Amino acid sequence: MTAQVSVTALTIDGPAGVVVAPFDFSIAPGETLALIGESGSGKTLSAKAIAGLLPAGFTARGTIALSSATIELPSTDAVWRATRGRRISLLLQDPFTSLSPVHRCGTQIGMTIDAASATRLSRDERTARITRSLAEVNLPADVARAYPHELSGGMRQRVAIAAALATDPELLIADEPTTALDASNQGEILDLLRGLQEKRGMAALLISHDLGMVRGRAEHVLVMRHGEIVERGVTSSVLNAPSHPYTRALIDADPSLTDRSARVVRGASGAGVSGSAEAKATGTTADSTTVSVDATADLVVATAVTKSFGDKTVLHGVSITVGRGETVGVVGESGSGKTTIARCIAGLERESSGVIEFEGVALAPGRASRTPKQMQIVFQDPYSSLNPMISVGRSLKLALRVAGRPASDLNGLLQLVELPADFASKRPAELSGGQRQRIAIARALAVQPQLLICDESVSALDVSVQKQILDLLAKLRVDLGLSILFISHDLAVVRQLADRVYVLRNGNVVESGQCHDVLTSPQHPYTQSLVAASIHEAAPH
Amino acid sequence: MSSTEAIVLAKLPRSRRRHPLAVWLSLALLGVVTFLVLFGNLIAPDATAQSILDSLLPPGSPGHLLGTDELGRDVLALTIAGAASALVGPVCVALGSMVLGILLGTVSGYLRGPIDFIIGRWTDLLFSLPLLLAAIVVAGVFGAGYWMTVLLLILLFSPSDIRIVRAGVMEQAARPFVEAAQMLSLSKARIMFTQVLPNVWSLIITNSMLNVAFALVAFSSLSFLGVGVAPGTADWGRQLTDGRAIMIDNPAAVLVPALLIIGVASAANLVGDWLGQRLTRTGRS
Repeated sequence: MTAQVSVTALTIDGPAGVVVAPFDFSIAPGETLALIGESGSGKTLSAKAIAGLLPAGFTARGTIALSSATIELPSTDAVWRATRGRRISLLLQDPFTSLSPVHRCGTQIGMTIDAASATRLSRDERTARITRSLAEVNLPADVARAYPHELSGGMRQRVAIAAALATDPELLIADEPTTALDASNQGEILDLLRGLQEKRGMAALLISHDLGMVRGRAEHVLVMRHGEIVERGVTSSVLNAPSHPYTRALIDADPSLTDRSARVVRGASGAGVSGSAEAKATGTTADSTTVSVDATADLVVATAVTKSFGDKTVLHGVSITVGRGETVGVVGESGSGKTTIARCIAGLERESSGVIEFEGVALAPGRASRTPKQMQIVFQDPYSSLNPMISVGRSLKLALRVAGRPASDLNGLLQLVELPADFASKRPAELSGGQRQRIAIARALAVQPQLLICDESVSALDVSVQKQILDLLAKLRVDLGLSILFISHDLAVVRQLADRVYVLRNGNVVESGQCHDVLTSPQHPYTQSLVAASIHEAAPH
Repeated sequence: MSSTEAIVLAKLPRSRRRHPLAVWLSLALLGVVTFLVLFGNLIAPDATAQSILDSLLPPGSPGHLLGTDELGRDVLALTIAGAASALVGPVCVALGSMVLGILLGTVSGYLRGPIDFIIGRWTDLLFSLPLLLAAIVVAGVFGAGYWMTVLLLILLFSPSDIRIVRAGVMEQAARPFVEAAQMLSLSKARIMFTQVLPNVWSLIITNSMLNVAFALVAFSSLSFLGVGVAPGTADWGRQLTDGRAIMIDNPAAVLVPALLIIGVASAANLVGDWLGQRLTRTGRS
């Protein structure tokens, strides 16, 4: 495996003409090429074309030259069966769906080993190779007996990597391999991939929308937009001195690559001195846009909230306050309990013990004691938080009716989230992720709530869309005087919006304070490691 | 699209996708039969009129396209008039068990807890009853009757409807859009029937069309066994019983109603699948 992998004149035709214009690239053994672009840019289609997995209606042209074979596209199923999984492996974004839920992890790795080996392996030899594959990705041998749902997201992605690499492929295509993972897991998985790749001399094509992730982890980069390569070159020079305006825009939109405070107008107040100083320094603040954070009048006070599911305790006495007009961030990894505390406050979960007060009045656990006007929630996944069978207009009118507002307020509501009025007649399936999230925000705001709870509301979105939604939230916060409880695993995102921040770990608040203070000089070792992980993403190499 | 759906669809071989031509033929057949159900008695008013002189004429006899049976009844007229009795019952059974399925299944799947337990054990009980045997026993105790059979079949068909709706509702109830509705403090009944149920319709429709097909066969079986419609009534299942003895003299007396039962049952199946797929696609990106 010494020759490089090269792809020549790769073109993809869709039902309505050319979708991806011809482009070439080659990857040396042990090196990584990153293909960057937003959703819809054609980057995933390109990956699928090289893996021979284009959806019906799409055809590819071009040549793929591997050291062991040359494939002329379009190719036959027989050629792909001999190639896919053996010479070219594909690693998918979501370890939840790429592993079969009904087979043990060992069985799934074994299946790829069997498919690739010429002779039938003995049971012992097969087990030995499965164990070796797992060891390579730093997993213990007993993971082989586990089902995917018994593992964490990071472990699952490791199993998927083990399965993809079990056949010793020449080229690994990784399609957004870490998008579904936590910040601290993301770095680990990418570094693991990088190590394995160098050890084996394997070429890798890394598909991503995340420029920060690519920095330091890929030798070369291709930037794709609307199916065309707009920029290519050595990673560091492209990121440091982009020549195409689109690349520039992608870099600007990435929260981990730029100065956060310069981009979102933050509320300035007595409680947020540092924020206001920063904003003034960068010249983006205006007195008319300041919001008052009245620290003496707390809107929500949660005291010593605990929550157990069965014999598993998720929250060990968490106390959180949200002031009027204040934006409070709650950060932590998955499993830290950040979503659970938000859901307890919203009444979607019943806390096991503790007190949740709203405007000084203690609320009983559950929805029955809460009114829609007190609080609304915007969920993480805009694809499942809107009812697929009901038009956007009907959903919003329902929310307006609950608040006793006339249906004619619908247009104003759509305007508030910067969408045109004709969106009312659409169904969620016709909208993009960002548009759906705007509708979800509009639905939450229809009842004019005092508190908006955002549960990972931007983490399922592309960076540039993420920025738009964050800007929208920052604007709404100022215009409507909203209090926001912002749950996220992404420090860079929380930093843009929050006045104060709580850091949760294993159901305990390990640190809290002014957002700027906590994130620039973290006291607790865990916070320090989170901040380090997030800086590592952004640091130049 | 839900994950289970995705897995099921991915595993289906391409040939399972219903060809539109088959669907159009099925719709045409169901259309013709529906017309017969509505106007069959006007087209063939004297279907059950007996005439000893004309008994056992073979197909193609003058005035009797499909011949006559041993009582001299015209087979074509009998078949046309028999459509109503053959189909009204099954459709009522499918609708009745659909209503029970929607009510009990939605409540069971959304509220869970004790009410789910009670409904679950009730469906277990009904599942354990053998359909034809139960029908024969009921006929023996209360006397054979068409509408009695309809009621009995509704009861015996409902557990599968309840279970299917319950499963669909449970899957949908865990989705964030349901929680968004809870955040608006909508009542449970309102969330169940206006937010969750629309997402389960594709399952319900597909299943109900299947039920029409099963009920059609069940009715015909009961008539064939003599516990369905009364002797002398125009009914496809009854024609099978009566025609069995004269199969040599006039094969059409058995074949025509038999083929119609098979055809209508298959058509209901195909159309049900097709409708279900279309409804699923409506909400999908």
